[in-house]
Amino acid sequence: MTPGTRTDTIPIDVAPVEIAQQRKAPLPEVRDVVFDVQSLSATYGTTTAISDVSLDVYRNLITAVIGPSGCGKSTFIRCLNRMNDLVPGAKIDGKVLYHGEDLYGDGVDPVEVRRRIGMVFQRPNPFPKSIYDNVAWGPRVLGMRKGIDERVEKALRGAALWDEVKDRLKKSGLSLSGGQQQRLCIARAIAIEPEVLLLDEPASALDPIATSSIEELMHDLKREYTLVIVTHNMQQAARVADLTAFFSLDVEDGRRSGVLVEYDTTEKVFTNPADKRTEDYVTGRFG
Amino acid sequence: MRTTFQDELDLLEATLQEEGALVLRALRGAINALEQRDHELADEVISFDDDVDARYVQIEEGIQSLLARQTPVASDLRLVLAILHVNLHLERMADYCVTIAKLSKLVPEVDPGPRFVEGFEEMGSRCEEMIRVALDSFGDRDLEGAEGLVDLDELIDRANRRVVERILELGEDPAMREYGLRMVVVSRALERIGDHAVDIGEQTAYLLTAEFREFTDASHPQPREA
Repeated sequence: MTPGTRTDTIPIDVAPVEIAQQRKAPLPEVRDVVFDVQSLSATYGTTTAISDVSLDVYRNLITAVIGPSGCGKSTFIRCLNRMNDLVPGAKIDGKVLYHGEDLYGDGVDPVEVRRRIGMVFQRPNPFPKSIYDNVAWGPRVLGMRKGIDERVEKALRGAALWDEVKDRLKKSGLSLSGGQQQRLCIARAIAIEPEVLLLDEPASALDPIATSSIEELMHDLKREYTLVIVTHNMQQAARVADLTAFFSLDVEDGRRSGVLVEYDTTEKVFTNPADKRTEDYVTGRFG
Repeated sequence: MRTTFQDELDLLEATLQEEGALVLRALRGAINALEQRDHELADEVISFDDDVDARYVQIEEGIQSLLARQTPVASDLRLVLAILHVNLHLERMADYCVTIAKLSKLVPEVDPGPRFVEGFEEMGSRCEEMIRVALDSFGDRDLEGAEGLVDLDELIDRANRRVVERILELGEDPAMREYGLRMVVVSRALERIGDHAVDIGEQTAYLLTAEFREFTDASHPQPREA
């Protein structure tokens, strides 16, 4: 599903706030498609998590995935970097094209997929190592040993953490506050220069100030990265996302599965959603 | 279901309808005061404006609180924004009623003939009808009713033009001229009340369609379809 129009490119009719923020650098009229998801279904054993999901994800935009618990939001983004491969019994149907190439095609290396498409999880999960090593670990494993100090600094700056940690890089990553730990995880993700960042409830365990700094960071990150965020917090989606996909639970013959109900600009979803199920969810009348 | 939030929205809308009923009473009082040259009634209309203002402030504060705490979206957001605008239009209408009441006290003791009284009675009745239609179509979410306000407004505009023509025929007598001058303002106030009713209709259309549009555009007039 493409937001608004049903073509591979969308007009940039993002929220006025967004336009105001980017006034200095006018946005191009069209966007490249990063992910072209076609009729994607995911099952865990006999349970269908998501069913027949089709949507496009666009370069350098923030796409939010919202919906009630159990609607398959996390499953969906985990399909985008083959994270579900690690779950026993998980099975995928349909296609996930990444720049036109089937992510689940023969000969595609899931490790390389996850290098290009990084992920940040709900709870900050730094390694019990120094701040420096947390960030340097990924590049080292991937053989990016040249200029490692510069790479660590660049990643920490990119995650808006450098100024806070530059004098204590040898201290444990676990010594940081929750919000700093989450930014450290973002730094760790971007240190290996992915193109896409998937964020699964990245601020749900954080206090409002740390949440605010993560949201600000997301705005900065989208200049270089394509972001897909799963969030329970609708106002967070409204604040940060350019596009919003609403997933819901569909019940057929007593079997429940997550379906994509609506996908459009965030402004449209939060001012005049096209589908009554979306309207009921965003206005809190769901269920 | 967010019952507290829904209760607050319902209360805001009920207060808005209450404010509308007060505006109708103020308008009838102002027209009667003008027709019957009843200064006491005019004073009542003037002080009655405080009641309208109290509802206006109550709605403003309610909206401020709702926006801060409940962050309404989608149709809820449109309803809150529409109430914000309709509230302002009703308050302005009540101000015009005060203007009419004040002017009714200032007219000199002249007899311009029954046609003036008839003219203002016609305009006043049409304004009352428009306010009712505006409030009902907002409450009933009735797009057709809201769009019909344009036709009703046209009738007021015509009545306004007739009143102005009659004023021009009042002659050279200074007292008559003063009367005429004041009545131009009264006629204009009634005509503006009609315009505000149309604006309320536009808010109903926004609430229902999520599109801001003016029913009529004076700067780009388009011929209406037959």
